[in-house]
Order: sequence, then structure tokens, then C-alpha cells
Amino acid sequence: MIHTLTIEVNGVSRTAEVRWDEVLLDTLRDRLYLTGAKRGCDEGECGACTVLVDGAPVHSCIFPAMAAAGAEVRTVEGLAGEDGELSDLQRAFVDAAAVQCGFCTPGFLMTLTALLESREPASDREVDEAVAGNICRCTGYSAIRAAVRSVVRGSET
Amino acid sequence: MTAVGLGTPRPDADAKVRGLARYGVDYRETGMLHARLLRSPVAAGRIARLDVSQARSSPGVHAVVTAAEAPEHRNGLVLMDTPFFADDRVLYEGEPIAMVVADTPCQARLAVEAIDLEIEEWEPVSNVAEALRPGARLLHPDLDSYAVIPGAVPWPKGGNCGGVLTSDPGGVDEAFEAADVIVEDTYTVPRQYQAYLEPKSATASYDGWRWTLHVSHQFPFLARSRVAQALGVTDSRIRVVGHHIGGGFGARLDLGLEQYAAIGASLTGRTVQLINDRVEDLVSCMSRENATIKVRSGVTRDGRIVARDFECLMDGGAYAGDTVYLTSIPMFMVGSVYRVGPTRVIAKSVYTNTAPTGAFRGVSGTYVCFALERHTDRLAEAIGMDRREFRMRNLFESGDSMLNGQTLDDAHILREAFERVEEVAPWGEAGKGPLRGVGLAAVIWLTNPLAGSATISIQQDGSVGVSTAATENGSGAVTMGLRQIAAAEFGLAADQVFVTSPDTDTQAYDAGSQGSRTTHVAGMAIGAAAKQLRPRLFNIASSLLGALPDDLELSGGNVRVRDDPSRSVSLAEVGRTALGMGGPLSATGTYSVPLPKWDPDSAEGLLFPVFPVPTYHVHLAEVEVDPDDGSVRVTRYVVAQEVGRMINPEGVYGQIQGGVAQGMGYALWEGLESREGRYTRRTLESYGLPLAVDVPDVESIILEHPYEAGPYGAKGVAEPPIVPVAAAIANAVSDATGADITGIPIDPEEVLLAIDKLRES
Repeated sequence: MIHTLTIEVNGVSRTAEVRWDEVLLDTLRDRLYLTGAKRGCDEGECGACTVLVDGAPVHSCIFPAMAAAGAEVRTVEGLAGEDGELSDLQRAFVDAAAVQCGFCTPGFLMTLTALLESREPASDREVDEAVAGNICRCTGYSAIRAAVRSVVRGSET
Repeated sequence: MTAVGLGTPRPDADAKVRGLARYGVDYRETGMLHARLLRSPVAAGRIARLDVSQARSSPGVHAVVTAAEAPEHRNGLVLMDTPFFADDRVLYEGEPIAMVVADTPCQARLAVEAIDLEIEEWEPVSNVAEALRPGARLLHPDLDSYAVIPGAVPWPKGGNCGGVLTSDPGGVDEAFEAADVIVEDTYTVPRQYQAYLEPKSATASYDGWRWTLHVSHQFPFLARSRVAQALGVTDSRIRVVGHHIGGGFGARLDLGLEQYAAIGASLTGRTVQLINDRVEDLVSCMSRENATIKVRSGVTRDGRIVARDFECLMDGGAYAGDTVYLTSIPMFMVGSVYRVGPTRVIAKSVYTNTAPTGAFRGVSGTYVCFALERHTDRLAEAIGMDRREFRMRNLFESGDSMLNGQTLDDAHILREAFERVEEVAPWGEAGKGPLRGVGLAAVIWLTNPLAGSATISIQQDGSVGVSTAATENGSGAVTMGLRQIAAAEFGLAADQVFVTSPDTDTQAYDAGSQGSRTTHVAGMAIGAAAKQLRPRLFNIASSLLGALPDDLELSGGNVRVRDDPSRSVSLAEVGRTALGMGGPLSATGTYSVPLPKWDPDSAEGLLFPVFPVPTYHVHLAEVEVDPDDGSVRVTRYVVAQEVGRMINPEGVYGQIQGGVAQGMGYALWEGLESREGRYTRRTLESYGLPLAVDVPDVESIILEHPYEAGPYGAKGVAEPPIVPVAAAIANAVSDATGADITGIPIDPEEVLLAIDKLRES
């Protein structure tokens, strides 16, 4: 069964023909060609597929596409400004060497963007707990924590 | 100013944070077909029926491939023991039996389900002990008839052993007689899954003669030769194009799915993409092998190790892969770091009905170090000596030799590493308090010596292009290391250098990202290319400036007269002028590490004979154990690592932090255990990877001793930070609780029992 799905992706209204049981990750990657969100595990564990649906981080590999009907979806491709300038968090990831292989990076950026937009994390522990649904196998997380710290510090000055 | 030593951000990070970096799984072509493998659902058995007729007529199906359509010969990394598809027998759960190629992934999946497969199941040879039992079923009854790759030195094998290493220099038993105390320990370790976040994939096309493969592979030239070998064609009929790699850690060195995509492409005439789902990726991956290690040492009351006996049984799985090479690893570890007297070593790679095992960062070294350093603590305890003091008494010095006869002329760096750790975490103060403990571990590790190359071209805009088949696996070795080395060679800032991605059609051979070799070996190749290019560059500049070539120097993107810097010409102008003066400024440099001397008689079956360009490492872990659930928290972790020279500090720290995190996972949570040949933990969720809350910020102490034959003094960096971690943590847990930790991941039950015992006493 094919449905017509209309969603707002990164501020632009998009329409796609989707299977009734399709997950949002497939719609984004295979129909809208937004391949920034990654498929790492297909079970909502690794977090590489994280996107924001109405501002909340979801694992798009287990999130039904039809459930996003009418919603605002943000993906990693929508983080940079219209002029191409990186967001503060993206910039901090580059500068703090928080990116190694980079496959997990889009998911971390989306989870942490949601965190930083909701509140200012008071401690490393709060950052660590916020990314409990994201796995990074390369960096050992330290540089990711440092990137978030530098954004928080930057917003204070 | 030189670009070397700066923490310059890596250029690929920009594409990666934008979500625009294309990995193997993101590669697409118009009209591409999708493949899926039928993998064996059981660990061992005979294929009684394989009927693919219904699958062939399923909607959207273009081809179904089985052993009947595939090359008949076997292939392999060193020993050619592996069939393309299982034909009459299956030897492990997850072994490919057939492949469907269809219009969509969903159609391919449905058609795989439509294959009628019946397997007459056998009791699997599920572990090493069973495999070595007299009368055990042989996994490879025809082992002796298997071909080996050209150039491989013959090695002992037989029965269920794919390879045996034996080193018995004589005098070991006599040396034990001088001991006051003899301690014998047995250690067991499980498999460790590399768990790169990008599942394995391959995309192939075929033009009637040649295959093109789009991959995220650590070693494109090996992928090329292995696909050629599997298909039974010459290497040059295969082209491998590399894309961003979503982590590899050794699992993308040998073949993954490339040969299957290739045969799908040639049978259909279409581009075919094959991607693992996570469960099949985990189940079929060549993980770090599980092993059992026995070590017996004799010590004197005054704290000298006088003799040692070491045996290691490695589970190679159903096909040998590179575990035949890995049996050599104990030769570089069992009798080094500490002087141990005459030593006997036996290491066997054993066939079982489990997935083949293979390379994972630090290979077998992680568990050999775990066993040796746990044992070292036990030796100190046996004679009532402080554990650090005992290590210092037996510590290697420059001029000491490893068991392979290779002499180390910079081993004094080990002592410096211990001292630097002592400065920040004094032994007398570290890990004190109830249920707290501290552990030490040290290792000597290699820089992989295999050949590499790089082509440098001065562009007409004055930038420098580096083209190499060395791969950026995420470590930064290419995008930081090689780029900064090339920049330094031409007096440029790093952002004036760009590095292309791998393509075996256009680049010379390079052995890819393994064993910390990229910065060192490909960096030397860049130096060799620059050395060829510089005379031409100065000659052209000399004619433009009217000055002698010898009086010129490179700086800030210009060539200038050394004594009169106002007379200068830009690299861009030199690059443009070159087109009419002999052609573009381009040169290829190549390098391989000269092998140190070793004693070929030191062991039988020593396929991997030396540890070139050694580096020195000391790790210290402080832990706290939870008396309620027996869990272990690493409260502090200190690394002293010798690197030759840092090309990019951020890159070095990143490798240490990341390697320690993987080592923590190995020590405390990870592990593929199998029951009856079937893994019990089969998903990323159940596998137990470390999360952010689990990993502290590691304190890194970098020891720089510029290495004469390294690019700007650099040795290898990335692999060794994982090696001593399980050892240091296990020693700390033992210190905290009194538990004699003999296996990993450390069992909370065992910790709780030890705490109870501690309270009783």
C-alpha cells in the first residue's frame, strides 16, 4: 500500500510516495536523497539515524514515516545556515576534533542540538546522559564532550 | 613555519558535520540492483537440498547465485581454504550459501526467503578444546591439499590447526630449576566485535572485461587482489574505488562483501549493491579471536624472572583468514617489556564451527598483554614484592632482544614512560581507599612496515595535490597526518594541500590503514616524492627569478631567494610555467620500512617475523568497584605513549582516547560468546559497547623521540592505545577486591564474591 506523505523537512515542504510500513529513515535517504542520517543498526540502538521530529530527537530507523505526516523534520543537512555557515555545534565538532570516521556524527549533532535548544547542560554528566542513545566507536566521547562545553562557554561570553 | 606539529582541523570534518560525506553505503548509481545473501542458519552441516527455482521466479529478481554459478576454487588471505559459496557443507552460522539480485532490497529479501534450503545438521565443533580432542571431526579434511598464496613460507599445520608457531630455544626447563617460586596461570578471553558504525557494503559494476567496485575499505589494493583471486582473474581486471569509511578497526582489511557484489554485476550486467544488516554483519564479521592463554614463570626471591613457558590457543573460526599470521604475535610480547629468561612459546590457530576471526586493532596483542600483565602482578605477589618495583627490576633496556632475536635500540624509553606516569599518578598514592584499586600495564608495539606510495602534484593554482591509495579510516592519518607532511615539504599551510580518495586504477600500491602505518609509511613516500620534485621546481623558479637553484627556498606558497626574500615567485606561477618546461610538476614516491634483523631459527612457523619501528607504552588505571552490583567504574586513566614525533596533537590524543575506550569495552562489557556455534549476543544493543557515561577523559602523556627514518620523526600512533587497557583495568580490579581476574569481560559476580571474601577476612 502506497501513501502520499507530506512533511516539512529542514523548512521546506516535501511530498513523497511511501509504503505504509516504511520507516522515516528510508523516506529521507531513498526518496528525498538526504543521506546525512545513517543506518547503523536498524533497531534504534546506535543513534546514527537520529533526526528531530517537531524538535524532539527520534531514531528514524524505527520511526514510522507516516507518523511524521504534517510534522517538522530536521536533519543534519538543515543545521548549517542558509549561507552555508556551520552552526555553533557543528563548528565546535570540527574544532574540537570530535569527528573521526564521522558516521555517528549526524546523530550526535541532532541529539545535542535538541539538548542545547532546550537547556544549557550544567555538567559533562548531563551531556553524557543526553547521548545515551548514540554510540561512537572512534572517539571515546571525550572530544564530543569538549565540543559541547565550548558551545556552552561561547554562549556565556 | 611548518605545518607539522599543529592541531590543524581536518578538512573531511566539514563534510561530515554537514551530512554530505558519502560513505560506501551512501554510494548510488542509476538503475542499480540490490543483492542479499542467504546465510547458513546453522553452525555445521551438510546441504541436503538447495532449490532456488521459486526464488528465481520471484518478482523483481534478476539472478540467484549459488556455488553452482560461482568459481569452484577456494580463496584466502594466506591459506586458500575458503569457498566462494558453501557447496556441500556449511562450517559456520552466517556462511554465505546463495545470493539474490533484485530490483529492490525488499524483493531481494523476499526472494531469499523463497529459497528452499535443507541442511542435515551436524553437532558443531564449537570450541578449541573440542577441535583439538583426538577424533574430533576435521573442518578441513583436505587441509594439506589447499594452496597457499604465492611467496608464503611453508608453516606447520594439520588436523584442526590452520597454523602452529613453536619456539623452543632449549634450556627452558633447566632455567626453571633456578627459580624460587613458579607461578602458573590460565586466562580466557572472548571475541571482540569491531562494531564500526557503518555496516559492510560493496557496489560493483562490470563492463564485459573489468569490474569496478565502490567500497569503504581500509586496504583497496588487498580488496582488488582478493576479489581477483576469488573470481579467478588477474588483479588488473579489478578497479577498487574508495569512499569515506564509517570505521574499520581491522574488519575492513580482508574481503567483506566485494566478491559477491562483483559476481552479481557480471552475471546481470548491472550495477549491484550489497549491504549487510547489522545482525548479519555482527554474526559474520571477522572479530578479534577468542583465546586461552597459559603462562608459567619462574621467579627468584629477589625479584627476577628466570624462565617462562607460554601457550596460546587462538580460535580461528571456520576459515583461517589472518590468524595464521597472528600466531606470531606472542613472539614480540612474551619475552619483551620485561626480561624473562629462556622462554618457550607455542601458539596455535584452531579451526572451529564459528565465524572466521581476524584483525581488530591491536590484534592478538590485547589479550596476550592482558595475560602477561595479570601474570606479572601475580609473580610480584608470589614473592611479596611491590608490583611496580617488580616491573622496574625486570624492565627492558636498550640493547635487549625480543624472542625473535630482534634487538631494540631505544627500549630505554619504557623506563621514561613509567617515570612520566609516576609524575602525574604517584604509585604510592594512586587508587587508595576502600574498593578502589590501581593497575599498571606496559607494551611494546610495532608500526606496520608494508609498502606505500603517494603522488604529489603542484597544481597550477599553487596548491598541492596528494594522490594516494592510503585510506582515511577516521583516524586522521590521511586528512591530518599526510596533508600536514605534504604541506611541510613545500612550506605551505595545511589548507593549501588536498588529498584525493583511493582508486586502484590511478594510484600506485599502498597497504592501507593497518598497524598504525599510514602516517609513517605514506608520509615517507610523500617525502620521497617531494625530494624528486624539488630540484625541478627550483630549476623552473631559478629561470623565473634569475637566481641559482641552490640559493632558493620554499616559504608561504612562494619560492624565494634565501638572502633576498623580496625576490620571489608564487608556486602557482612555477606550476603554470612547468607546463611549458618539461610538463606538470608531479612525482610519485614510494616507501617500505626496512625490516630489522631477526633470527629465522628463533621459531618454526614465524610468518610475521619482526616488530619494525617499535613504540613504547605504559598505562595506569584507577578503578572503583560497586559493592552492590560488582560493576567497575574507571575513575582515572593515564597513558604514556611514545610516538616518535606528533604530526597533529589532536589526532594523537583522539587515537589514544578512542583506543582506550575500545579497550575499556573489551575489559568490562563486550564479548561474543557462542553456545553450540551460535553467538548469544547478536545485536548492538545486547553487545555492550561503551557509552559516553562509561568513558572518562584519558590523561595522555606524549613522549617525543623523533625517529630518524620517519617523516619529521613520526612513528605509528593509532593502533597501540587499545593494547594494554584490559590488562591495566584487570590489575586495578584485582587490587581493589583481591579477585584473581583470569578472564574478560570482568564478571561482576566474581567481583562481588571477592568483596564478600575481603569482608570476611
